[in-house]
Amino acid sequence: MVKIQQEKTITINPITRIEGHAKVDILLNKDESVKEAIFKVVDFRGFEKFTEGRPFYEMPSITSRACGICPVSHLLASAKACDAIVGVNPPKTAIMLRRLMHMGQLIQSHALNFFHLSSPDLLLGFDSDPAQRNIFGLIEKEPNLAMRGIKLRKFGQEMIEKVAGKKIHSSDWILPGGAKWPLTQERADYLNANLPEALDNTQKTLEIYKKMLDGFEEEIENFGNFPSYYMGLVTADGGLEHYDGKIRIMDKNGKVAAECVDPTKYREFIGEAVEPWSFMKFPYFKAIGYPDGAYRVGPLARLNVASFCGTPLADEELKQFKKLGKNGVVQSTFHYHYARLIELLFCIETAKDLLENPEILSEHVTSKALVNNYEGVGVAEAPRGTLIHHYKVDPQGMITWNNMIIATEHNNIAYNMAITQVAKKYVKSKQLQEGMLNRVEAVIRAFDPCLSCATHAVGRMPLEVKLIDANGQLLDRKIR
Amino acid sequence: MTKSPKIRVATVWLSGCSGCHMSFLDIDERLIDLAKKITVVYSPIADVKEFPENVDVTLIEGAVANEEQLEMLKKVRTRTKILISLGDCAVDGNVTALRNSWRKSDQAILERAYKDPTDLNAAIPNAVPKLLVNARPLHEIVKVDFYIPGCPPHADLIYYVLTELLAGRTPIMEGRSKYG
Amino acid sequence: MSIGTVKLKIDGVEVNVPENTMILKAAKDTGVVIPTLCNLEGVTSYGGCRLCLVEISGSPKLFPACITPVSNGMEVTTNSDRLKEYRKMVVQMLLAERTHICSVCVADDHCELQAMANQLGVDHVMFERNWSHDEIDSTHDFLVIDRNRCILCTRCIRVCDQIEGVHTLDLKLRGKDSQVIMDLDEHWGNSCSCTSCRKCAKVCPVGAIYIEGEPIEHTKKKDIAEFIIARRNRK
Repeated sequence: MVKIQQEKTITINPITRIEGHAKVDILLNKDESVKEAIFKVVDFRGFEKFTEGRPFYEMPSITSRACGICPVSHLLASAKACDAIVGVNPPKTAIMLRRLMHMGQLIQSHALNFFHLSSPDLLLGFDSDPAQRNIFGLIEKEPNLAMRGIKLRKFGQEMIEKVAGKKIHSSDWILPGGAKWPLTQERADYLNANLPEALDNTQKTLEIYKKMLDGFEEEIENFGNFPSYYMGLVTADGGLEHYDGKIRIMDKNGKVAAECVDPTKYREFIGEAVEPWSFMKFPYFKAIGYPDGAYRVGPLARLNVASFCGTPLADEELKQFKKLGKNGVVQSTFHYHYARLIELLFCIETAKDLLENPEILSEHVTSKALVNNYEGVGVAEAPRGTLIHHYKVDPQGMITWNNMIIATEHNNIAYNMAITQVAKKYVKSKQLQEGMLNRVEAVIRAFDPCLSCATHAVGRMPLEVKLIDANGQLLDRKIR
Repeated sequence: MTKSPKIRVATVWLSGCSGCHMSFLDIDERLIDLAKKITVVYSPIADVKEFPENVDVTLIEGAVANEEQLEMLKKVRTRTKILISLGDCAVDGNVTALRNSWRKSDQAILERAYKDPTDLNAAIPNAVPKLLVNARPLHEIVKVDFYIPGCPPHADLIYYVLTELLAGRTPIMEGRSKYG
Repeated sequence: MSIGTVKLKIDGVEVNVPENTMILKAAKDTGVVIPTLCNLEGVTSYGGCRLCLVEISGSPKLFPACITPVSNGMEVTTNSDRLKEYRKMVVQMLLAERTHICSVCVADDHCELQAMANQLGVDHVMFERNWSHDEIDSTHDFLVIDRNRCILCTRCIRVCDQIEGVHTLDLKLRGKDSQVIMDLDEHWGNSCSCTSCRKCAKVCPVGAIYIEGEPIEHTKKKDIAEFIIARRNRK
């Protein structure tokens, strides 16, 4: 509900068209201009605790249930942590299939955010009738685009299903050290047959979107447009990467600030802070400290930290994309949407390459091993950013300690900066209109938060307040 | 000939992972046909902020884990004719209720999450909706009219149940309802 | 009627079976399947799960078909509305007694309790769950027991005693506190009698006993287990 609780606060509750539970409080000055905005997340399940005592090989299945949109991210990060515990390198085909499943996930998740969650704002308008401003309204008003979105998401889900047997929470297929069953020719043929349509849908959507960009100048300028650090996985030579590779942290000017070549050493680079008034933790870049070491993750960050994509069509798009920012660093949160579409293209091209490799059909996908190490870390790029699973086990393999740093968490500080910027620009409390508040929500949607993931252990995001000037410089920070 | 009014449908997510909603969206192109028969009057994927009155069917995903969700569930019950527990978390607790195996599980999970591993300011926050001691399935709080188990329930099952209800029939769950 | 044959009706159909046949077998021989969980061909019957309860006319009580012998003139009903409700209740009670979360269990999709719930249309548990929290015993090299999933069917105990012949497994305590134990309540890795034959894992209907690192569909093959038992039983 939208409620003015006292004279001084406007609450948006709940934030809709995002994954998970959240509210925003917009705090007002005495003259009712916007003072600051706060992003609150309100669910808590406690994965770190209730996984204690469970065998490590159950972790993919349990952590998958952290999120229904990106369960594959958790399956993969968890599988990699389990691989480390058994001390085995999975067979090449198992890794190829895991990557293929990952591409499927990125396709469906990005399609969901763009078409089902965000495009009602972009195509029907931020100020359009709230009753219609959703996927059903899109089906009515823009049926062709809605159909593209439904089909792209379906294709991504089917890719996951063909590899792993189930679309959501396909944990049965993942094994520590590999996977349970190979890909059949029949399933590979099905995917190959549907690739061209998926590619066409993506390219057409990109074309339409790029043409629309001119109409979003104001949003691009004001939706979370500020310099920050960026973090993401890259290949050994700096290309776009989602499954393996090294963690790269880039500074506001496009220079590589740090590289964590062995992702298991993430704690040397990333710290977590807690604020007493918040459930959600604040990851920060240790070399700079808290809170100036704030960084962003996700599609925008990944395209910033990567020097190239590695597939032809996506590389073409990346070149154009990087022109939007100084030194090739694109700072506006609004451009997460554009980055997401480019990643969609990359994933379809990569899936095609994987399926063309004859080794994808090999039957050697399983390794045999039991507990050999008592600690394992698995890092992967979820659709929303870098995901880390870190497990410790006893000699029998029962979990004694578990930490998960979730993609959405990394963007914590950035959320608060972004919504404050948007609230200050658009929210006029004396002539409050629904569309103004929708814009605050829209910048959150651009990040594509996954709050069920992020609140695996948390109840609420921090009441951190930032005052940012027109150049995006942090002037002041207040803790509530 | 007057068109029959569209059925008013709502969806809610409590303490879950949104996988059941995603499974609902896995009905893919059938969503377009369904959209002709129903109006979604409240949903996390639509922009209505206050749960409306006179809802015909509400699907609720997720267990009840805190007091805010408890209040929401009770409110929904008074405003909807048919309430459906969607997915294992709503039906029986599932993963959300894994914490129930600990005594005073609300305290146990808070203690664990905020002391370690934290680099700065480790402390338990105290400004969030109060957790219930145990995560509870919906039917322990309100009367539930129908259950769709599964983690998540298959899209075909969700579609079957909805279309049967829309046609005024009672869905048959023998051989169809499956946990996990 | 020859000596040793009993005439009775099962669901209105007249059948003749040798005396001392249990109702469960008599029904099976005539093509009527009564649901069971603790039943295992080739070992003694236990009557513990109560899924196989049937009605016998003339009595208000229900009788477990696996341990109730036939008698002349008996009229058995195997599938009334009352029995359907009771069977659903039994499954719900089993699910409530300990911690059964199918979605994250090793036996998901290969579990007889889950399948029974599916078959009967059990779509929720009306009883408040106990959320038991027993420690998993993984001390054996590859056999694991998670007592939170145990439904006390005692198939493992019977097969270990009657087929493998070592009686490593038994029960301690009573009622809801009952636990399957090894030897004199040792950790499995310290058991001196266990031969690691894995029959217990093969016959466990749920995800309580399993083999670490082995896909559950390879382990739990009831028909193979019963084949092994039948071969061991031949005189």
